[in-house]
Amino acid sequence: MDILYLLIPLSVALVFFILGGLWWAIDRGQFEDIEAEGARILKDS
Amino acid sequence: MSLASLSTPIVAPAEDMVAQGSASGEARLVVTPHSVESLRLLDDPAEWGAFSRPSAHGPDCWESSVVIEGMHCAACSLTVEDAIGRVPGVLDVQVSAASHRAKVVWAAGTVHPSGWMAAVQKSGYRAVPANDVFASERRRVETRKALWRWLVAGLCMMQVMMYAYPAYIAHPGDLSQEMEALLRWASWVLTLPVMLFSCGPFFRNALRDIRQGQISMDLPVALGIGITFVMSTVGTFEPAGIFGKEVYFDSLTMFVFFLLTGRWLELRLRDRTAGALEALMNRLPDSVERRTAQGEFERVAVRRLMVGDVVRMQPGEAFAADGVVEQGETLVDEALLTGESRPLLRTVGSQVVAGSHNLSSTVLVRVERVGADTRFAQIVALMESASATKPRGAQIADRLAKPFLIGVLVAAALACAWWWGRDPGHALMVAVAVLVVTCPCALSLATPAAMLAAAGSLARAGVMVRNLQALEALADVDTLVFDKTGTLTKDAMVPESVRVRSGASQPQALAMAAAIAAHSLHPVSRALVQAFAQKSGSDASDAWECGAVSELAGQGVSGVVRGLTDPMQGKDIAVKLGSAAFCGVQVDADDSVRVFLSDAQGWLATFSFTEELRPEAQKAVASLEQAGVSVHLLSGDGAESVARIAQQVGIVNAQGGCSPASKLEALRALQSAGRTVAMVGDGLNDGPILAGAHVSFAFGQAVPLAQAQSDFVVMGERLESVVQAVFLARKTMAIVRQNLWWALMYNAACVPLAVVGWLPAWLAGLGMATSSLIVVLNALRLARGGSQFDALTRKEA
Repeated sequence: MDILYLLIPLSVALVFFILGGLWWAIDRGQFEDIEAEGARILKDS
Repeated sequence: MSLASLSTPIVAPAEDMVAQGSASGEARLVVTPHSVESLRLLDDPAEWGAFSRPSAHGPDCWESSVVIEGMHCAACSLTVEDAIGRVPGVLDVQVSAASHRAKVVWAAGTVHPSGWMAAVQKSGYRAVPANDVFASERRRVETRKALWRWLVAGLCMMQVMMYAYPAYIAHPGDLSQEMEALLRWASWVLTLPVMLFSCGPFFRNALRDIRQGQISMDLPVALGIGITFVMSTVGTFEPAGIFGKEVYFDSLTMFVFFLLTGRWLELRLRDRTAGALEALMNRLPDSVERRTAQGEFERVAVRRLMVGDVVRMQPGEAFAADGVVEQGETLVDEALLTGESRPLLRTVGSQVVAGSHNLSSTVLVRVERVGADTRFAQIVALMESASATKPRGAQIADRLAKPFLIGVLVAAALACAWWWGRDPGHALMVAVAVLVVTCPCALSLATPAAMLAAAGSLARAGVMVRNLQALEALADVDTLVFDKTGTLTKDAMVPESVRVRSGASQPQALAMAAAIAAHSLHPVSRALVQAFAQKSGSDASDAWECGAVSELAGQGVSGVVRGLTDPMQGKDIAVKLGSAAFCGVQVDADDSVRVFLSDAQGWLATFSFTEELRPEAQKAVASLEQAGVSVHLLSGDGAESVARIAQQVGIVNAQGGCSPASKLEALRALQSAGRTVAMVGDGLNDGPILAGAHVSFAFGQAVPLAQAQSDFVVMGERLESVVQAVFLARKTMAIVRQNLWWALMYNAACVPLAVVGWLPAWLAGLGMATSSLIVVLNALRLARGGSQFDALTRKEA
């Protein structure tokens, strides 16, 4: 069970890593218009 | 909303001026009123038009519509109202907590916009001109930030819950001291971002409240969060301390997550309810393709458009100005402007209106009216002033909010003091539960949320609400009076019969009349032209050519027609078309509408017209009667034709030949008999009568929006809209009552529970988040679009 002493701090680091990824996605506006991306392929221009 | 608070002015003045490229790449300088200096730019009278209009309050008075940022509950709206109201020169101010809009009436001689906007800023909020291009950009940034805060809280909550789980299930001795310490440390680390980032708005607003000596919902929340965090931190690092080794990181993060979820959903829902209004207001495109002198097209900002410009509208675009189609034909959607949901065909020469949508193909449009002159702009002005009005219920709730919050703080302190002797840790958690469980927000949202949703729903059906309070009166209406026959009949008249002098042929007389009538815009002339086109399928000008046409207003048209086809080819005939006196014809009295045609030999033909009932009139009257609303008709027209129309639509109480005074008298008689009366008129010259009724409707396309003094304006031609409004008003008031009951019961039940310590903090948080959400969700039932709206009337009809 000693491995937990490593895994728990690691999981904390992982949360921050995931949060960083989400921030990147939000900052690029990826959640703003979810429908439009799907419809984009149907557009001519 | 908490999310707005991130915009507290910390930005350096240098960043206030932001060059913004519009779709064309044309750079524009947009000014954000961050600093007081940049607010001054709004003092230029040329800028006022963008967010203000002259007010009826007096000479040189303006009425501005602004969005207030940083507001999140009822108590705030009072603070802002106070702040603006204290500025000398401000005549009237109304701040709506539900729509975050403020309506400010100010005298331009005494104060300038920067004056009262600075006062808003000083009280810790911010005013942004409602029509500012920047408002939408800022809203986008705010939405992103809000989503980000919510996600941080959510992710951290999940992980903290994992770390808390072992402590819940472990038997004493299962967890080693070090392991327990490690889990707490991990929870603490992951709670930090929630406290520092996700809770930022709560703390900032609470701090502002303290500084201003005000109180709002965020103060108890911030207190609750702060106490829990400090207590748990002490527990983590000093397990032997006064609060024991108990930690509440899981409750804390869960509470924050619930709260942010609630606010986030509330924000989205509010956007959707107020969104119908907003959708209408943001309908115009930013830029449009204008034809240059060289015949090429360039993109220019809509505000640069001038009357006479030719613009190219692509399918899918919204028309930027009122105009006439010059080339091409297309289908347009005018649903938001008239409530007519079918696509309408617009060919060369037909009118298109700003704010309607071009559906099928590219057309060239010659601009006839721009900016504030368009009907669209008038509608927007109407809706803005309506969404800033505060219904009576909301005013009461707002006044209650402050004493209520103070009571909560006192109750929390008392509960804490009571429990302190036994267990300080438990005492603090009870206090926290009391702080977070109360929710005056639900109470203050109850009325305006429902009414705004109803107003949005009505707007989509083509009924504009001028005053939200009127919905309440409309729900109680038991008598509906049509003030004009014209509200029951179509605008266009239908020719009933044609009589001609012996020797003349009917089709020929009609063709001659139609040819000359084509030069007049009188409704009867238009009806003649239309009748001919329907009968022969061709244009009257194919058979007859007109010359020397002159129109005598209210009398008739005279001119010379020359035959182009066989029997009459090359013959010139001088004709007159118009009233009996104009044509020199002797006739017996009759109250039907007639028009005469005469030539050199005198009378040639008589055309009689009837007014055609609106097809839905009968159904509308029947469904009103069925709903317990008695329908009356008071008309200035001849008694005989009024009786005929009343009989056709099934109105029992009809009275013809009324003068405006006798209409008013009849109205007073109904009112003194204890009836709540709604009046339906055309809003043109029946102002006093509409004003005298409890509720008034102005009906018909011709309604001059800017002057209409009625409570409701029906934009389209559909009489059902009136019926729908009555039903929707009743439903709205039912929902308002439900909301108020729920909010009262919730607070009455939960506060005592929390005080006696039966409510854990996380449950309190969940309760608070859901209570205001339920209110908004309930209100949203009113905004569920047209389909439900139709179903409603079908069911009732």
